[in-house]
Amino acid sequence: MLSGLGKSLFGQPTGVPQARSKRKRLWFADAGFSIIAIFIALIFFFPIYWAVSNSLRAPADTFTVAGLGVPFLDFTPTLENWISQISTPEAANAFGNSLIISVCSVLIALALGLPAAYALARFRFKRIKNKDLTIWFLSQRVLPPVATAVPFFIVFSSLDMLDTHAALILVNATFILPFVVVIVRQTFQDLPIELEEAALVDGASHFIAFFRVAIPLALPAIAASALIMFAFAWNEYLFAVILTIKDSATMPVHIAGGVDSRGVQFWFVAVRSLIAMIPPVLIALFAQRYIVRGLTLGAVKG
Amino acid sequence: MATVSVREVHKSFDDTAVIHGVSIDINDGEFLVLVGPSGCGKSTLLRMIAGLEDVNDGEIAIGDTVVNDMAPKARDVAMVFQNYALYPHMTVRQNMGFSLRLRREDKNLIRERVDSAAQILGLTNLLNRLPRQLSGGERQRVAMGRAIVRDPQVFLFDEPLSNLDAKLRVQMRTEIKALHQRLRTTSIYVTHDQVEAMTMAERIVVMNLGRVEQVGRPLDLYDRPANLFVAGFIGSPAMNFIEASGGAAGDAPAATADDGTALPLPPGARTGEGQPIVYGIRPEDLALSANGAGVEATVSVVEPTGSSTLVFCEMAGHEVCAEFKERHDFEPGETIRLMPRLESLHLFDRESGQRLGD
Repeated sequence: MLSGLGKSLFGQPTGVPQARSKRKRLWFADAGFSIIAIFIALIFFFPIYWAVSNSLRAPADTFTVAGLGVPFLDFTPTLENWISQISTPEAANAFGNSLIISVCSVLIALALGLPAAYALARFRFKRIKNKDLTIWFLSQRVLPPVATAVPFFIVFSSLDMLDTHAALILVNATFILPFVVVIVRQTFQDLPIELEEAALVDGASHFIAFFRVAIPLALPAIAASALIMFAFAWNEYLFAVILTIKDSATMPVHIAGGVDSRGVQFWFVAVRSLIAMIPPVLIALFAQRYIVRGLTLGAVKG
Repeated sequence: MATVSVREVHKSFDDTAVIHGVSIDINDGEFLVLVGPSGCGKSTLLRMIAGLEDVNDGEIAIGDTVVNDMAPKARDVAMVFQNYALYPHMTVRQNMGFSLRLRREDKNLIRERVDSAAQILGLTNLLNRLPRQLSGGERQRVAMGRAIVRDPQVFLFDEPLSNLDAKLRVQMRTEIKALHQRLRTTSIYVTHDQVEAMTMAERIVVMNLGRVEQVGRPLDLYDRPANLFVAGFIGSPAMNFIEASGGAAGDAPAATADDGTALPLPPGARTGEGQPIVYGIRPEDLALSANGAGVEATVSVVEPTGSSTLVFCEMAGHEVCAEFKERHDFEPGETIRLMPRLESLHLFDRESGQRLGD
């Protein structure tokens, strides 16, 4: 430390070659990292590429294609699969069901989870301690979902709610609630409490302080948790397949339904998977803005 | 504007009692400073007045209304926080107008009030900025602006200047005082900085360990501290204390320091012979003695400040600081003689810590 200080004080000549060699090392490191990153990305993107390739092949080409299945090179691409999928009412129905169920369960989870997260962060509960309450919320995720599948089926069956949106919305909201509670509780805890105290002195009730001060400041975390919850609800398969029959079947059920007496219809599965990817990707792109803004918002605290 | 009275207030967090029966009356329009070391309960007391902490026992009244069980928003007080607590997602204008918007005031009125407060505080050009685009001093001003647009009964300040650098702190100190002289709103100001307390207060309440040590005007506290704690806390550099025992009355009464050094007492000093006392003398009340009178002291460190010279020396077995208006160039180890100004001596009972005599 001291010798370094001496060098920078007593002459640049010693400092310059050192800096250059450092830069060289960094260059190698960067290149190395890039190669590893590209390699990993290839592994992760390959299934998506394969789905695209598969979706553009005529059914007969599915298993006969040579090499990496590059369109035009290894086979003649066709949009037939896409056209037939998009024009079937089941696909549109499943897509709509998935959207309604995912969005509604996220909204319900936010409506219930945000006040719960705030209360856990800011109030001290006496009989059941805050920590225990938080664990209780988390415990929703401890039991393997399959263990509750039969009870849920019986409950909804006796309520005559099988194959309804409401049933899946309730189930999904229950399962994603812990995400918002735990993630946003931490964010509320990290907000300077003086901001809400200032609001209270300024004439706000706890409720107003929560809505006008705490929520806007926690928005990045709320967006992040909403994104995670949406993805979870969107991908949920187990309960969707148990609790739905036809009318409210979701995308994952629809994808898995790409099987007929001749086996798996890979071309349709590929098209449906790709369609199912669109909403989460769009939402992630949109939410990214908020999440990045969250990083700069932290600068205010100091 | 209103009076504030705090009567026999107690507060504890879980099992730890932090305020043990504090009573203070704040006059209408007064600028009162609560000062004390950290952990003395001054901020807690302020937060209780604001309604951010419950009162365990006792009563707090604003005007004629007991506010113990009122929510903060019903008390009509404005508070300036140590870290400003500006809402990061609102512009300066929105920050300042927030309380009025909550009260559903007319939009034009809000605009008018915010504009006039901004003008008083020199924030007119910054109204559309976000807090993160402001410097520390500007944020401080916005926090003040947020308080004054409301025209509340009472201003509460919780160490508002401690996050500013020294130069800005002095400047803001003056600005807050000028603002109070202009608005004459009852103000309670919490600080641990006794210089801030001395310069800003009309009256100071010195607190220690959850109790009030002394209440009085700044110079009264300085000239006649009621006990050892106040004597040591108010004044910078701090008062020198020498443990001694009282001497016999006579023509030249003297106390005897624990190491045997004779310390001069003013004629008629009322200390019992042999009574354990603490002999207190402020640095500026020690004068160089040329004629062999006074007490011998060995110089250890000399600190020239420009306007005065601080000389730290060993006297009667204690580290003592003397402050001279003129410049001196003593060598460490040099022996000088210091003569206390007898009329400015402070004598305390060693056991109770209370002021003795007069």
